[in-house]
Amino acid sequence: MRITCPFCGERELGEFTYLGDAKPVRPAPGASQDEVYDYVYLRDNVAGAMEENWYHGGGCRAWLRVTRNTLTHEISSVEPAAGAGARQVVK
Amino acid sequence: MAEFSWEARSPLERALVSEPYGVQGEAGVALTEIRNFDLVQVMARRGKASEMATAAKGHFGVAAPETPKAVRTADATLIWSGPDQFFVLSKGGRQSVKSLVPIFAASASLSDQSHARVLISISGDKARALLAKLSSIDLYPAAFPVGAVAATSMDHTSVTLWRGNDAPGGRAVFNVLVFATFAESLWQTMLDSGAEYGIEIGHSEELA
Amino acid sequence: MTSSQSNRLDTGGLIDRSQPLNFRFDGKTFSGFQGDTLASALVANGVKLVGRSFKYHRPRGILTAGSEEPNALVELRTGARREPNTKATTAELYEGLDAASQNRWPSLAFDVMSVNQLFAPIFVAGFYYKTFMWPAKFWEAIYEPAIRRAAGLGRAAGVADPDHYDKAWAHCDVLIAGSGPSGLAAAVAAGRTGARVILCEEDFALGGRLLSDGGTIDGMPAADWLSRTQAELAAMPDVRIMTRTTLFGVYDGGTYGAVERINDHLPSPPEHQVRQRLWRIVAKRCVVAAGALERPIVFAGNDTPGVMMASAMRTYIARYAAAPARRVALFTNNEDGWRTVGAALGAGLQVAAVIDARAEISAEHRSLASKGGFPVLHGSVSGIDGGKNGVRKISVSLTGGARAEVEADGLAVSGGWNPAVGLTSYHRGRPKWRDDIAAFVPDGAPPGMVAAGAANGAFGLGACLREGFAAGAAAARDAGHGSGSGATPVADDEAFSLAPLWHVAGKGKAFVDQQHDVTASDIELAQREGFESVEHLKRYTTLGMATDQGKTSNVAGLAIMAAVNGKSIPETGTTIYRPPYVPVAIGAFAGHHRDENFHATRLTPSHHWAAEQGAIFVDTGLWKRAQWYPRTGEKDWLESVTREVKAVRGGVGFCDVSTLGKIDVHGADAGAFLDRVYINTFSNLAVGKARYGLMLREDGIVYDDGTTSRLAEDHYFLTTTTAKAGLVMQHLEFCRQVLFPELDVQLTSVSDQWAQFSIAGPRTRDLLKEIVDPSEDLSNEGFPFMGAREVALRGGIRARLFRISFSGEMAFEISVPARYGEAMARNLMIAGKPFGVTPYGTEALGVMRIEKGHVAGPELSGTTTAADLGLGKMMSTKKDFIGRVMAGREALVAADRQVVVGIKPIDKARRLRSGAHIIPKGETPGPDNDQGYVTSVCFSPTSDQWIGLALVERGRERIGEIVHAHDPLRGEDYDVEICNPVFYDPDGGRQRG
Repeated sequence: MRITCPFCGERELGEFTYLGDAKPVRPAPGASQDEVYDYVYLRDNVAGAMEENWYHGGGCRAWLRVTRNTLTHEISSVEPAAGAGARQVVK
Repeated sequence: MAEFSWEARSPLERALVSEPYGVQGEAGVALTEIRNFDLVQVMARRGKASEMATAAKGHFGVAAPETPKAVRTADATLIWSGPDQFFVLSKGGRQSVKSLVPIFAASASLSDQSHARVLISISGDKARALLAKLSSIDLYPAAFPVGAVAATSMDHTSVTLWRGNDAPGGRAVFNVLVFATFAESLWQTMLDSGAEYGIEIGHSEELA
Repeated sequence: MTSSQSNRLDTGGLIDRSQPLNFRFDGKTFSGFQGDTLASALVANGVKLVGRSFKYHRPRGILTAGSEEPNALVELRTGARREPNTKATTAELYEGLDAASQNRWPSLAFDVMSVNQLFAPIFVAGFYYKTFMWPAKFWEAIYEPAIRRAAGLGRAAGVADPDHYDKAWAHCDVLIAGSGPSGLAAAVAAGRTGARVILCEEDFALGGRLLSDGGTIDGMPAADWLSRTQAELAAMPDVRIMTRTTLFGVYDGGTYGAVERINDHLPSPPEHQVRQRLWRIVAKRCVVAAGALERPIVFAGNDTPGVMMASAMRTYIARYAAAPARRVALFTNNEDGWRTVGAALGAGLQVAAVIDARAEISAEHRSLASKGGFPVLHGSVSGIDGGKNGVRKISVSLTGGARAEVEADGLAVSGGWNPAVGLTSYHRGRPKWRDDIAAFVPDGAPPGMVAAGAANGAFGLGACLREGFAAGAAAARDAGHGSGSGATPVADDEAFSLAPLWHVAGKGKAFVDQQHDVTASDIELAQREGFESVEHLKRYTTLGMATDQGKTSNVAGLAIMAAVNGKSIPETGTTIYRPPYVPVAIGAFAGHHRDENFHATRLTPSHHWAAEQGAIFVDTGLWKRAQWYPRTGEKDWLESVTREVKAVRGGVGFCDVSTLGKIDVHGADAGAFLDRVYINTFSNLAVGKARYGLMLREDGIVYDDGTTSRLAEDHYFLTTTTAKAGLVMQHLEFCRQVLFPELDVQLTSVSDQWAQFSIAGPRTRDLLKEIVDPSEDLSNEGFPFMGAREVALRGGIRARLFRISFSGEMAFEISVPARYGEAMARNLMIAGKPFGVTPYGTEALGVMRIEKGHVAGPELSGTTTAADLGLGKMMSTKKDFIGRVMAGREALVAADRQVVVGIKPIDKARRLRSGAHIIPKGETPGPDNDQGYVTSVCFSPTSDQWIGLALVERGRERIGEIVHAHDPLRGEDYDVEICNPVFYDPDGGRQRG
């Protein structure tokens, strides 16, 4: 598999580390235990396009949001994580 | 009171033996370790990438690379190392972390990496053939021209690879910055991989 | 020299008769020529019997002339280079080649195990499943060894392979598999546009079937076109021709696997060269011009030596000038098989008869038969008379029911051609059936790949050239290169007519998969027993599961299954195709990663100094760390380690701890960031101070620990454990970039920038005073416990000094830029000489941390909470941090959790071992009363006995209780007392003093 890092260009799989589903959003402080439980454990078992977190640890160390088809491994988009680099992020 | 000597030793000081290695005859690959350099990691503070660029331009006279490229200044090479960050590689303390801190005080964080990396320069007719065993990067001349940079891995080890100016005669020169504690291991792998081409080995105090 | 080559034709062939080569087969010396394969040289020497079959030990000969060969497998080379299951049909001949037949004893001609044939009725499909089921323990002890002796293939060398292997990457616009007419046409079409082309050819020569079948291309003999094309390609700087290279797999994103047999054609690789190289090729486009494989017709006795694929027979005749037989018969169901008649007649061989299963043959062939003076029999071969010395007589069932016999010493068989659909089907592609050629052809392919020529079902030479050329030009265009392909090479298209015939019913064994001895009746039996699906058929009969992966047998097998099921072949379908296309040596996948280069290693800055001191090193992750420093006269590690511990506790010692992960955390929000990743607070840490920190995973379990110092308002220096250094960096980057992108934080690994030493023991300050500049205040007031700041050293360099302790002693950690690490070790020895300074290794480090009750890797096991480790009070209640909410889950705060305690044996002389289970005293050990386990143990020189840390249910409430340690792994049972985990200086006076 090859992933096109938005910073480095197309690279081989060995440079990347897979984390998993990029959809769950970390609950704000004060969230209930149930909400955090869902964030930590609840995952969709997607057959098809799935947004995933990948780390370009063997390259520029950017976290990436990769849309990958779990059936074909086809990658349809790769976006940097919000905080990759020094972009100003307002939360 | 005891006398202390603080001799700096390259991590490759023992592994590097300056004599031909592998197949005899004209060496296909030259491996040269460049010793005693200053290397500073410059990373933009959150939201300060343009301020960092301005500071770099003002100080170095050229723009710091914003894409995987290496640019030469009068006394340093600026090497892209990731988004909104770059290395300053220099010799003789001209661009040490101490001298750079005030330049980027308002825009970037600096980390001294002078001792954290070993710099190996690879050239020769078989340089690309050797590197093809270590690197998944396409080093075809048009795909990886002079000044091209890759933050990548060799032998599962993170490296910064860039193509320096061609040597006299037009031969390509590739530079590899590897983490110091991995250097001897990668060096052995380079010897192992390059033995079939014949290797000329040396070290230098001069940046290529 | 050539006298032994009884079956070598006087003229012709692509062999170099000026270069004779001697070789040995089963101990007998033969000769051949440069350009031969082992198989062609054996053919030239009249050798027909080359092996015994897998299950029945039946005599077998050479069936094919390529990598699809099921029978002619040999052990090639001897000693450490002995390589089993090597195909004689692809092994190039070299001077001194030494090969032995396989699976026979005591000799190939007289094989005791051929009695298996007499028991053939029991060796049917599913035999193993049915027979060796009970009792289970008989399997390992009795059945398997016996079966292994009786059945099987070659023997591995049994010793380490002395050769080097290699791995490399390559990149191109257009990758072409195969150099037959289609592949070469694709290469010129793509190459002429300026595209970067890689052409992989399995053979040592380019040309594919052109080398055997010739033909006319662009008005010239195929051989001339071939040399012209090779010359043209050789002149293109961006076209790379790789012979002896098999493209064996395709992976996601246009990555292909290929194995290049660089030096397999030599007795051993020249010095410094590798034997084989594994290529990972990244290609924008790929043209599969891998050709087609001729398929057999299954009939009784079809495995008799001398029965050969028709195309292989003419390859031996035309390419190698070697006659597989003197009097040849042909059994065909298609037009193409007849080419073998032409080749045989051209070489002056007799043609005994052609048995053609079709009702009609062409006028051209009728006239060839009358000119050649041989009969054409319409019908099928129903049996073979012959044995280990080859075919003698062929029984024919004529259309209409009559029988005939043909005397011949060789039978060429052609059942048609199967396109090589492997590469195009490796992404779970299912090939589609084409009735006109009665074969499966690719139905689509992985992205970027296209099949052309025979691999795509186009069997005519003209069609191959056109398809290949068009595919090459299109691939170059798609890869971003323009026109300029020039003119398509032109050749005629031969007629291809075929009447499908898979299996001729008859008496006697009719083999489908010759390598795994699967017969037509095995398939029928599998069907009767309900294994109708092709995937079940494959597993039940082992059809297609041998080293040839059923290249000559799969389609015939499923055709027979289709027939007995009363279904069509496309309804029956194919099994899933998986790489590799040919077997690839594990050595090639390993490349240089073997022995000491198995993985990359990391060396500490003082490594070579430690080696000089005679240190014993231990692998911890990728690191080599000094484990202890033995001294002359010490009888074992324990004595050395005990000495080191005592030296530290009684004086001063130092240890290289550079392996700790070190991270610069910069930025205005660095403190806020650390507050979120640690359970305790760092934003309130004063500049110049260090603090121990604990990180959780988001699920509430402890992730890592270490000390973090604040060096400036916006600069922290964070350390991690050695084991988790890389993972913590990844985790922190995740926090920075994904979870908390709004924070102004920059992270840089500085693990390799600093050589860091722990200096510990009551004389630490004395030692430091020697080495640190006198202007620095190291007093308890000037540099209190958990102080952290930069200091000047004597001799002009600067260091970072941290007053932290892992040993429980008065201790500092000192960091200098890494290239001074070795000098630091030497200078510590000089500075500490008056105080008896002792370097210590990881063992002594471990002993002292256990004595002090500090948790480490064995306790941070991925199952423990902060409270389990006795660090629950560190958890801030005033802020959010990773893992906070989940750490409060019911099960993670349960009262009966296993928590860290100390243990000591009741018998003071007893040695403890980690891993022992903790059981309540007086109870029988079992899962129901397992209350924990011993995590870390050491011999404590301070306590003068073995001590340990353990995770024990409700442990802190049970201090003083005597429990039972049960160690079934080592067969040990003994009692231990639960105690406070801090064995040494529990009030901490020593480290603060």
